[in-house]
Amino acid sequence: MSEMAYSEPEKIQSIDAEFLAGHRFPYQEDISLVETVDLDASTPGDDINWLEDIELLEENGTPAVFDRYSNSFIKIYFPIPKGRENEIARKVLMTHLQTGNSYGILLKEKHCKFPQPELGPWVANSKIVGTDWKPPVLEGWEAPMH
Amino acid sequence: MAAVGEQAISYDARGLSEPDAAVPEISEIDGTSAEFDAHDLSTRQINLELRWLINEQGVTDVTVRNPGSKHSLGVGLLTRCKITFDGSLGYFGCGIIDGPEVHIKGRVGWSACENMMSGVVVIDSNAGSLTGAAFRGGDLVIKGRVGARTGIDQKGGTIIVMGSAGSMNGFMMQRGRQIICGDVGHGLGDSMYDGTIYVGGKVRSLGIDCVPGEWTDADTEFIERKFRIYDLGAPPELQKFVCGKKLYNYDNLEPSERKLVL
Repeated sequence: MSEMAYSEPEKIQSIDAEFLAGHRFPYQEDISLVETVDLDASTPGDDINWLEDIELLEENGTPAVFDRYSNSFIKIYFPIPKGRENEIARKVLMTHLQTGNSYGILLKEKHCKFPQPELGPWVANSKIVGTDWKPPVLEGWEAPMH
Repeated sequence: MAAVGEQAISYDARGLSEPDAAVPEISEIDGTSAEFDAHDLSTRQINLELRWLINEQGVTDVTVRNPGSKHSLGVGLLTRCKITFDGSLGYFGCGIIDGPEVHIKGRVGWSACENMMSGVVVIDSNAGSLTGAAFRGGDLVIKGRVGARTGIDQKGGTIIVMGSAGSMNGFMMQRGRQIICGDVGHGLGDSMYDGTIYVGGKVRSLGIDCVPGEWTDADTEFIERKFRIYDLGAPPELQKFVCGKKLYNYDNLEPSERKLVL
């Protein structure tokens, strides 16, 4: 679990996926849970498309992959075979997105403002969310005339 | 006095005048494919029709006839699907998409595919300035020429231009790759932070902190793969340009700043 301050003025050190979720995910600790991910099939076009830019990085000394949909790192705790660093990072990220565990996905149902598939381009035929969004109303406030 | 052609426009090209527009539901749907004529539709109606087909009707392959160079078409589509525009698009076409594979059988105006997250867009002809602005991921193939500042603020993905490009290409580029097969104008890669630009033709001048890079086997594999996938023929002999990394030091930045370019 991340070391992180909940309140000011303490310095925030990091926000990673497990902090946002409140727990670690099994695929962060077990390589066998990501080995079967087909990266070509999971992405548009005839190669890995946007995953070309995804590489294994490091966060607070731990191998990690960045999830741009929640602006957070997913740390990887299992040993990564040499020469497969980026492939494994991409598979962990894709598993995180396809299982709907990315914090950005969790926010969609309540907050997205127009209809869209909950699991975006990562899973076919996922539920459509955002069909009934209404702007919040501040009690006692009236819209200006202009 | 109205500009030439202005009198013929019977809709708000910005799409701002119809906050309550209804889905036209005019498409001819055949299984998972659909087709509709956009000639008499406004920007908002066309985009509503596209979303209705893809999100609610289970359609995965749409052809839009007569897009009429209207602005902001095909934007905000966030799932895997195939879309063909049988004609040209105006400004800001296919912006903020995540997943679609789009074929545009014509030209596009400024800022096509800005903020694109993933997917494939193939444009058969020329594109305007700021093509692929803030591009985040996926492949953008322009078979004609492009204007100035292609891939400005690019943060990922691959932009391939078969023709020539204007000035300040890759300005403030932060990640990703550009392949320009023709000539490029002044200030290539000016103030780029990272990323790679390959150029097949003449470079009028390099921008600040853009320097020649060392060619590797990974470059060859990447170029050949993209040309094969998009059936672009044999790649030309390319020069590689990268960031000289004299202008900044990421290590000195806050962690949150670092995330902005990932």
